[in-house]
Amino acid sequence: MSTEHQTETPMVEIRNVHKRFGDLEVLKGINLTVNRGKIISIIGPSGSGKSTLLRSVNQLEVIDQGEILLDGIQVNRPDKKGLAFERHINHIRQNMGMVFQHFNLFPHLSTIDNVTLAPRKLKGMDKNVARELGMELLDRVGLAEKAEVFPNWLSGGQKQRVAIARALAMQPKVMLFDEATSALDPELVEEVNRVMRGLAEEHMTMLIVTHEMGFARDVSDWAMFMDGGVVVEEGTPDKLFSDPDQERTRNFLSKHLGDHH
Amino acid sequence: MEFDFGPVITYFPTLLKGLGVGFLVALVVAFMSIVGGLLVAVISIYINKVVSWPLRFFIWLFMTTPLLLQLYFLYFGLGEWILIPAILVGILGLGFHYMAYNADIFIATIKSVSDGQYEASRSLGFGHGATIFYIIVPQAFIRAIPQLGNNMILMVKDTSVLSAIGVAELVYASQYAISVTFRPFEFFIVIATLYYLINIFMELGQAWLERQTAYRR
Repeated sequence: MSTEHQTETPMVEIRNVHKRFGDLEVLKGINLTVNRGKIISIIGPSGSGKSTLLRSVNQLEVIDQGEILLDGIQVNRPDKKGLAFERHINHIRQNMGMVFQHFNLFPHLSTIDNVTLAPRKLKGMDKNVARELGMELLDRVGLAEKAEVFPNWLSGGQKQRVAIARALAMQPKVMLFDEATSALDPELVEEVNRVMRGLAEEHMTMLIVTHEMGFARDVSDWAMFMDGGVVVEEGTPDKLFSDPDQERTRNFLSKHLGDHH
Repeated sequence: MEFDFGPVITYFPTLLKGLGVGFLVALVVAFMSIVGGLLVAVISIYINKVVSWPLRFFIWLFMTTPLLLQLYFLYFGLGEWILIPAILVGILGLGFHYMAYNADIFIATIKSVSDGQYEASRSLGFGHGATIFYIIVPQAFIRAIPQLGNNMILMVKDTSVLSAIGVAELVYASQYAISVTFRPFEFFIVIATLYYLINIFMELGQAWLERQTAYRR
């Protein structure tokens, strides 16, 4: 990593992470440090392990080996079992927001309740205070007027913006984006990208798994190309996207840049 | 053949009393079978097999034997050792019977809530139990409404079976009135109409509830 990265304080540290599904090893010793306020993009073909890596950061996938740290606190705790691990991970996850490819908004709750449920129930936030926070966040993603609407009445782009607001409501230290725009119609991608750019300007630490090469290049401080469960190449986005060292990276990019430009 | 609805009018207060008893039983059974069915479903899906196996056996038992037989067993069978009031047997019998059917519905609708919902909730920091409570169960409940409604309509009609163990609901009340007036045709026509009207009301209620929750699915 660049010296600039090393002098700053790490927010997320991924150390020698291994994960297998049965006989298939999908992560073969991944290392990555995400410094405070930095944005890292992870690209790679389907099945490369990039989503699994992101999901292992908040232990939606429990890793088999290695270490993951959030702000210096170990996230994976093989020493803790059952309820002890539950308590630990529930607390850790409150500090990490996650945005999913298929939005996963709660359809039985209005937009505002989707955003305020977690702070109310997990932080014991007063209903009115939570509502104020929720409205502020909905306003930030441009959907304040949809507060009382139910998710089924929203477009895909609107759903994803609400999902981002919902994740932000817990005031997380890091945001994880798992192909946040992959399920969207092309004309709806930009409204979600705009919200993510806004977060970038506010120096939110972000880990982004994406197929949007142009966006990844624009917004990231660091980019990583994964294939077959290993990091093939990483570097500044300018270097990785314009002048990659590895043949595999070049092949992947030549296919995908063609898709989007 | 001449019709004479005079006796029906004379004994209408008796029928109303029977209707009231049936209504009370149906209300308690609805509550018991829905809350109980949901509990059985949640436990049998989420708690370990040691607990869930007997519950599944219970569901199977009540779904594969006739309601009338269940009532006879509880009232006369267990009656050899312990005499439970007929109305209580009726409530327990109907309650367990429909609890089994409702549990079956809830098991299906809980499983139909996508894994993404569970993961989204967990990613916010909700625990396993809180996720089931705040996210999974409410959605499963909304999805269950159409089938629950059908079950409850069947259940209301089945309160008539309780007449077999002497619960003084509508059919039992009419049997008494018929035995004094010898006008079965007129009484049964009126009672059938009453059941029909109740059915219509319940179907309207169910349709309303489905409309109210449709956009939350």
